[in-house]
Amino acid sequence: MSLRRTVLFFAIGWTVTVTLLHGALNLKVFAPKTTSTEANLGRIGFLPVTCHLTCPVTDFINKQQQESTFQPLRFNSWPELKEAYLSGYTKATFILAPMAIALREQGVPIKIVYLGHRDGSAVVVHKDSAIYSMQDLRGKRIAVPNRYSNQRLLFFRALKQAGMKPEDVELIEMPPPDMPAALYSNSVDAVSSGEPFMGQTELDGYGRVLWQTKDVWPNFISCVLAVSEDAIKNDRDWVQQLVNGIARSGKWLDQDMDNRMDAAKFVSRNYYNQSPRLLEFVLSKPPDRVTYTDLVPLKPDFEEIEQLGRESGILEGTAHFDDYVDPSFAAEANRLSAFDWKAAE
Amino acid sequence: MNRATRILLPLGVALLGLVAWHCGVRLVGSDLFPTPLEVAQGIIELAQAGLLLKYIVASLFRVTWGFGLAVLIGVPLGLVLGWYSYFYTALNPILQILRPISPIAWIPLAILWFGVTDAAPIFLIFLASVFPITVASCAAVHNMQPVYVRAARNFGLGTLALFRQVIFRACLPQILTGLRIALGIAWLVVVAAEMIAVNSGLGYLIIDARNAGKRYDLVVAGMVLIGLIGLGLDYLVRQLETFDEVRWGYASNAR
Repeated sequence: MSLRRTVLFFAIGWTVTVTLLHGALNLKVFAPKTTSTEANLGRIGFLPVTCHLTCPVTDFINKQQQESTFQPLRFNSWPELKEAYLSGYTKATFILAPMAIALREQGVPIKIVYLGHRDGSAVVVHKDSAIYSMQDLRGKRIAVPNRYSNQRLLFFRALKQAGMKPEDVELIEMPPPDMPAALYSNSVDAVSSGEPFMGQTELDGYGRVLWQTKDVWPNFISCVLAVSEDAIKNDRDWVQQLVNGIARSGKWLDQDMDNRMDAAKFVSRNYYNQSPRLLEFVLSKPPDRVTYTDLVPLKPDFEEIEQLGRESGILEGTAHFDDYVDPSFAAEANRLSAFDWKAAE
Repeated sequence: MNRATRILLPLGVALLGLVAWHCGVRLVGSDLFPTPLEVAQGIIELAQAGLLLKYIVASLFRVTWGFGLAVLIGVPLGLVLGWYSYFYTALNPILQILRPISPIAWIPLAILWFGVTDAAPIFLIFLASVFPITVASCAAVHNMQPVYVRAARNFGLGTLALFRQVIFRACLPQILTGLRIALGIAWLVVVAAEMIAVNSGLGYLIIDARNAGKRYDLVVAGMVLIGLIGLGLDYLVRQLETFDEVRWGYASNAR
């Protein structure tokens, strides 16, 4: 065969084969459409962290009861999650509270409608280190997820409480999934992020919790559910349904430990792709490590975040509670009871 | 060198590398960094879950389309740039500005333009491979011996025929070298391109495994798979060099 015929033959054959295989295996274009409407449901961005646990839990229970109202979309890091929201690809998203406020300050039409969780963060040091108090962290290197993360603000608050200045420690930004390995190899002295990455270091036996958020900042908020103003204006029913589901699954998670263990199983298998043991660990040891009730956005909580954000230089202070929060959905949602659903044995 | 040596020599070195890797991990006593055996078990686990084929196909799909589009646009563009000096003067600076920008920097724009669909990683792979292809094709025209063109002109060839029958053929060996390098780059950026939340692919496997806690065996499994498939792709492209249309361009003892 001549060169041209060989190349044409192979190139076309290869492209067609790979495209058909991709269509069949990954896009499932040939599978019968079970939920034809799913593509039209609004997309919601989330990350595989416990702060966003109510998103997959709501979706899972909704699917069991055959009444999906949204399509969850898993991201792997904050920048991509934020960019998908900004481009309008996701209609709502779980997001760091200070990041949502900063976006609002920059003119993005975003409104916080509900909280993601309370507590659920920790500061972890190496098991063999001599660090037992905030004072011991003087001059040490501490990893936080993102400059807009509440863990960074939390650290500023803890420093203030301990009578220390931000210059006393070296804060560096690091994606949470990389934190366990960084702590293990002693490239940082302490790490702080949402779960399950902190629980991971404990479970694997080289991390020791210096303090849990609840010890330093009770009722700590890191992630919130935010919706575009467009959806609030044109699609109030959808937003209300979404918030209702998130509220009900939060109450369901806090109802009893069995529900949490079930959630650990189906979320790790279907959504997070993490070891179920890890999620079971962070959801139960101790049980109030992270909580999912009492999630109505309240003004004093956010004023404190605003102030810490200004002090740490990430917020201008030009947007206030009424600009970036729409509490009108939370009230109704909070009156609803937990999902009436149990995992089949 | 006989055939057996050509196969056994690299295999032996690879085996030595694996043994060194295994002993290194054991010696340091790390329980985070996986041994070759754990990586192999990770790959088997992926295969049993039915993910191995899915992920490989997904990555190949994106690289095929991204690289394919880059060839379809880059080769003609490069030939035209190489032939018409006005085009070259006008466009070359822009090309040289865009060329060194990493695909990672394009991720935000890719998400804004294409959302979180397959089109975004394809666009990134296209960007990574189109510039090397264009530059290689353009340089090939610049290096072409003018005697071919003069002869063609004497035979009274029109512009289109000149491009198809003379310039393209004369440049083919150098273009192919460019394609081989570009394919390597296209495959190289698959991890960066799949950082966007598509839910399949070998790059996604690596990022997903980092999120999954202590699954560094899967991280390394993804790296190994990308490397092995890269080797296979390079082998396929190298087969093109055995054709007479190309072979004249290489020194006879090159193989």
